[in-house]
Amino acid sequence: MQHSNIFDYKKYRYFKWAVVVILIAFAGYLLFEPAVGHYGGSWLGYGLGTLSALMVLWMAWYGIRKRRYRSSGSTQGWLSAHIYLGTAMTVIVTLHSGFHFGINIHTLAYGLLLIVVVSGFFGNYAYMIYPRLMTENMGEDNLDGLLLRIAETDKLARQIALLMPDDINNAVARACRETYIGISLMEQLRGFRADCPSALAVQQLTVLGNNVVAEQRKLYRDLYSIMVRRESLVRRVRQDLMYRARLGFWLYFHVPFTVALLVAMLAHIVAVFLYW
Amino acid sequence: MINCLLIKVSHNSRGVLSRSYRTLSAEEITIGRGAECTIHLPDPRLAMHHAVIKRLDDGQLHLIRINGELESQGSIVQNVALSNGMQVMIGPYQLVVEPAPPDVNLSISLLLLHRLPDDFQDLKARTHEPLYGASAFKRRLSIAMAAIIALLFLALPLAQNLIPTLKATMAQLPLGFDRVWSPGHISNSHLHFGSQCFNCHETLTQKVADSACVKCHQDTAAHIANPALEKSVFKSTSLFSDGIRCAECHLEHKAPHPLARQDNAMCVKCHGNIKAADPKTNLSDVKDFDRSHPEFKLTFRTGPAVVDFERIPQSETERLIEQSGLKFPHSQHFGKVQGPDGLWDVRNLSCTTCHRPEGKEMRFAAVSFNRDCVECHKSELTVGPAKATITVPHGAEKNVINTLRLQAPKDFTTYTESLKTDGCAYCHEVAITKKGDELPWRITPLQINQDWFSKAIFNHASHQTQQCQSCHLVENSETSEDVAMPDRKSCLRCHSGNNPKPKRIASSCMSCHEFHSSHAAPKTTAKK
Repeated sequence: MQHSNIFDYKKYRYFKWAVVVILIAFAGYLLFEPAVGHYGGSWLGYGLGTLSALMVLWMAWYGIRKRRYRSSGSTQGWLSAHIYLGTAMTVIVTLHSGFHFGINIHTLAYGLLLIVVVSGFFGNYAYMIYPRLMTENMGEDNLDGLLLRIAETDKLARQIALLMPDDINNAVARACRETYIGISLMEQLRGFRADCPSALAVQQLTVLGNNVVAEQRKLYRDLYSIMVRRESLVRRVRQDLMYRARLGFWLYFHVPFTVALLVAMLAHIVAVFLYW
Repeated sequence: MINCLLIKVSHNSRGVLSRSYRTLSAEEITIGRGAECTIHLPDPRLAMHHAVIKRLDDGQLHLIRINGELESQGSIVQNVALSNGMQVMIGPYQLVVEPAPPDVNLSISLLLLHRLPDDFQDLKARTHEPLYGASAFKRRLSIAMAAIIALLFLALPLAQNLIPTLKATMAQLPLGFDRVWSPGHISNSHLHFGSQCFNCHETLTQKVADSACVKCHQDTAAHIANPALEKSVFKSTSLFSDGIRCAECHLEHKAPHPLARQDNAMCVKCHGNIKAADPKTNLSDVKDFDRSHPEFKLTFRTGPAVVDFERIPQSETERLIEQSGLKFPHSQHFGKVQGPDGLWDVRNLSCTTCHRPEGKEMRFAAVSFNRDCVECHKSELTVGPAKATITVPHGAEKNVINTLRLQAPKDFTTYTESLKTDGCAYCHEVAITKKGDELPWRITPLQINQDWFSKAIFNHASHQTQQCQSCHLVENSETSEDVAMPDRKSCLRCHSGNNPKPKRIASSCMSCHEFHSSHAAPKTTAKK
């Protein structure tokens, strides 16, 4: 039997909840339209707003809940509910707004909520695809293992290159010396470096190979295959860093914007009830 | 031939420097990582043939670069003369010229100054953690955003409300800090002061009070003339409200939606079951113009005073008789009619020949004899034989009688009698006066209805795409007693009730009625 995941947890229990919540909200929206059109301050608006505020707090609580070992319910169930009900909440908040937007705290809170939810979708997507790709990429290796293997090839390549002409030796030495991995955030997210010294060295070796004298050809072939292997190792390390960066990057938005949303929501509620 | 003492300096396992000596003898001493070099230094940072030591023409020994780089005293050099104590960097090696023993030309020591780093540790140092410093970044971003939002959207608006001096200062500016709390557009009529919230929101946490509204709207009268009825009608409308506040119905921040409610709900709330609101009323229940609306009542004037009128339902057709004091068959004044100038004078009359629309609402100017009738009905004002006709003025009877007394004293009785039975009486009702009156007869005063639907608003301009006869059936009317006002059914041909119907426009209460005429209430009119 296949294990259930966060999406089909308990036979789509929270998906069904989300659908029911959305349907109820839509039914209310269609049936009870105030004379001046929908707005947050109508009976329905207050109802939807209160529900949304409670849901935001509950969603934010997940961030604390998941860091606790002793809590009620499984974390998987909480995450499933977090995803489905978070999506449903977006619909409810939109109905709460009555589609009125302006330059004010209310629309700011709404915008922050959208950023949080959309970044959550990215996170969802990331956790759906990257763990599998990471396993495919790394196999049974880990990052340190790969780095150790690169270091070994470095040593080997340098030893062989000592006997080779200067330009080949320089290319190899440069590749070994200047291979930086994941030096910037952008590079980590993109997963490759346009001017990767390892790839460059392989290209240079291909060209320089034409000038190698006959007695060094075997040596050159060894060196070349080592450098190609080295390049593929470096690429795998870059890929691994990319997956891990992408797996965590959405939280750059999800978490800080949640904090911002909580403050904006507080200001939104305070504003509404101070200026009735 | 160069005899050279080469001293290799290295660190032993305990980190102490040890020196190993070797003598070399060659024409020139090559240095590099190539195995064929006289001094073979297996380090990838050196060139295959890095440099050479040879005697130049000046007789001195020089170190000259071949494919590698030489560094002396912090600068890259091509060629350096080897004098005692000289230090040169050859890649990672430091070459020092030492005092030469007597049997050699040159004594140099070589020390590997920069060791090759450990590959793994070095590579690890060059490999960054994914999203290095993410949690610190997230924390900083969270705090920064929370602080900015709390300051701009919470602290400043609150401070403006709580600190009187700040409030006074901000009041001078076009906008206050609390402008960011505005939940929606302010209606046009309130826009000129609406960007300063305190103009309406006088007290924090309290709903906008009527006192804020009457600062400007001082003339607005009670919405229902009877105060007791008003209080009972406007009693609490929701749990959250005390019901009677202006802002309960006139919702601000909803522009472009009008401030005055246009929906039926408020009207039907009372008028759907009007007896519940006012047991003494004789009004009918109204819920929807299409489904439940009484027949129209026409307002008939019964006397000259404002209060002299009677409202008769259109269903009571036998009572719908207008006593205007005029005799006027519409049927003879419509389409092709005979003009006054002989058989060939055929005139084409339409409604607008006499009823002339005025203003943007297309109200109609009163029909005037001098403008609309005289052209054809000149002869009704003349008396006497053809050669000596007398034309009497249209207007007060007194002027007519005086003209006749003056111009035809002899035939006075004949002529007045003729006017009584034919001239004036052609169009007017004539009444014989009582004995002692200075005039023998008088024209019955006209009582022409100006406003048949006195409880409704009607705009002819918004119906100008229609023909007059679509609503006013006057073509076959033989007498001025006929009332040609459309009934509810004829409105329903194009209008429906609260909801639109196929080919029928939705018409709410406010399409035809005003809300309790609050702006024409006695308090307002008395001031004018």
